[in-house]
Parts: sequence; C-alpha cells; structure tokens
Amino acid sequence: MNPALAWGLVIGMALSNIVIRLVPIAALSRLELPHVVHRWLSYVPVTVMSAIVATQLLKPGGAWMLRPDNPYLLASVPTAVVFHFTRSFLGATAAGVVSFLALRFLLG
Amino acid sequence: MMIPVDGAKPCSILTRMPRPTAPAGLAPTRRSRFARGARLGVPIFLGYMPVGAAFGLAATAAGFTVAQATACSALVLAGAGQFIGLAALVSSGNLAAALIATGVVNLRYLLFSATMAPHLKGVPRWQQVALAFTLTDETFAVNIADVREGRADRFSMTGVGAVSWIGWTLGTAIGAMAGSALGDPSRWGVEFAMPAMFVALLVGQVTGRRELLAAALAAVTALALSTVLQGQWPVVVAAIVAATVMTAVTE
Repeated sequence: MNPALAWGLVIGMALSNIVIRLVPIAALSRLELPHVVHRWLSYVPVTVMSAIVATQLLKPGGAWMLRPDNPYLLASVPTAVVFHFTRSFLGATAAGVVSFLALRFLLG
Repeated sequence: MMIPVDGAKPCSILTRMPRPTAPAGLAPTRRSRFARGARLGVPIFLGYMPVGAAFGLAATAAGFTVAQATACSALVLAGAGQFIGLAALVSSGNLAAALIATGVVNLRYLLFSATMAPHLKGVPRWQQVALAFTLTDETFAVNIADVREGRADRFSMTGVGAVSWIGWTLGTAIGAMAGSALGDPSRWGVEFAMPAMFVALLVGQVTGRRELLAAALAAVTALALSTVLQGQWPVVVAAIVAATVMTAVTE
C-alpha cells in the first residue's frame, strides 16, 4: 500500500469523523434539527448496515456467490441468532468466525 | 460508586455540577465519577478488543503497516466506518471514494451527536471535543441509558469513552502485530469477522417493521446497483435512496 494513500485515509477519516460527531454537539445545543432531517437520519444506520451486509454476504470479494452452500450467508445465521439473544458483539463475532471456519471446512 | 440523585432532571445534573471542591470521600469527585464511567465502559472494552484486532488484521492484510493501522484506530475510532473506508480504498484505490464511503457510514453520528447535545450544554469545549471523539454506537448506547437514569455526568462519560478508546486502539495494535506475524489471515477465518460485525450491527438496528422494510429496500437496491457501480458506491447510493424513500413514505 502506498504510504501516502494509507496516511491520507487515516487523516481524512479522522477529520471527517470528528467534524460529523462534534458539529451537532457544538451547535445543536441551541438549534433544533428539522423533523424531516431527523427522520431521514434515523433510517441511515439500518439502510447502511443492510446494504453492506447484503453485498458482503452475496458478493464476498466482489463476485456473486448465489449458492445454497455460500459459507458467508450460512454463517450469518448463527451470528444473527447469537447477537439477537446475547446483544454481545464479542459473542456474535466469535460465533460467526467459528461457524464460518467450520462451514468452510465441511463444505470444502 | 453511586452518584447521589438529587431529584433534579438529568440535564441539570450535567450542566450544574458541583465544583469538586469538597474533600474526597464526602462527595463524588471527578476521579470517582470518571472511574464509575470507566467501569461502565468495560463491556465495550471487551467487545472492541476482538473487533479492533480484526481491523488490525484486515488493515495489515490490505498492506497497512502496524503503525498505520494502530494510528487509524487511535485517531478515528469508528468501527464500521474504518472497515468500509479500508474496503473502499482497497477495491477502488481512490482516496476520495473511500472518504465519501466512510462519511456516509458515519452519517448516523450526526443523529447520535444531536441526541447527546442537549445533555452536554455548559460542558467545557475541550470535553465536548473529547466526548464527540469517543462517540460510537456503543458509548452512545451506554451513556444515553445512564443519562436517562439521571446518573451520567461529563466525567463518567469521559471514563466510558477513554476505556472504549483504549480497547479499540489496543485491539487494533495486537491484531496488526499478529497479522504481520501470522501471515495469511484467511486461515483463521478473519475475513468473516467484518461481515459478522455488520450482521450483528444490522440485527441491532432492525427494531421494528419500518426498519425491516428499510433494510430490505437497501439490500435489494445495493445488490441491483452493484451490477453497474464500482467499489462501495452501491452501498452509499442504496443507503441514501432507501432512507429517502422510507422518509418520503412515512412522512
């Protein structure tokens, strides 16, 4: 990786992150967000996560994997179940990685 | 340590905090409130270590040095945003595309930050910066719950943030060093750590029928767009389109 690209990503993300997180705290203590903006922002997390999950599970590495033995798709089930019942990112990630390894071993 | 609840509203506990002139032991000091927050942050610390390690592994697998991966987590502290920025940079080689992708993923922090804002009135600007810097899905969840119980203050929130930051940065450093030592990370199933984290985040976001509908719309749109758009653009555009459609339909 070109060091300029890597450091550019680090610095750029650091700046964009602090701006996004600080501006409302610094400014909105007085100002109110318009209702429609509030509503729109409330949908952004779920739509971002879902779009990411859909592409990562069905196009891992960029190529379609529309097969019943897709280990990414199958391993997402125990991941989701563990998170639903435990609310633990640690547990869900561990369950996901372990099932993924097991599935990849079993399915070849 | 219990913070005495003086019957005031949560907001005023935060804004009109007694100056810690009282001797230690009689009233909660800055340090004891920070320590209480730090204890609240321990589960986040434990949760961030492995995901941070997964980021460290992913970053070194993408060609980052240990220093670059660790600095990224130390300066950014955005789990999903970092993964998506890294993935976008690797797939497109284009810094602008990577920064736009991470910006869209992090748009939700506008909402979290706006939600925290009324509770941070009168907090010194340096501490607002520190609290904004450590604002993540998890610290937000812990702090807003603590605020609603009327127990949070700016020092406890700083404690939550500090412990979370240490977990994320330390985890990344360990993962990056392991990544350079272990070689091919795919042997360890690490390539599923990132999808697993996003699956868990998605499950946490689907709180009702509207969210389920929004998720389905975004997923279908992203997959359809992925046949014509490159890199992370399908995700970015699908998220914006689905959020806009859902807002238009439900307003």
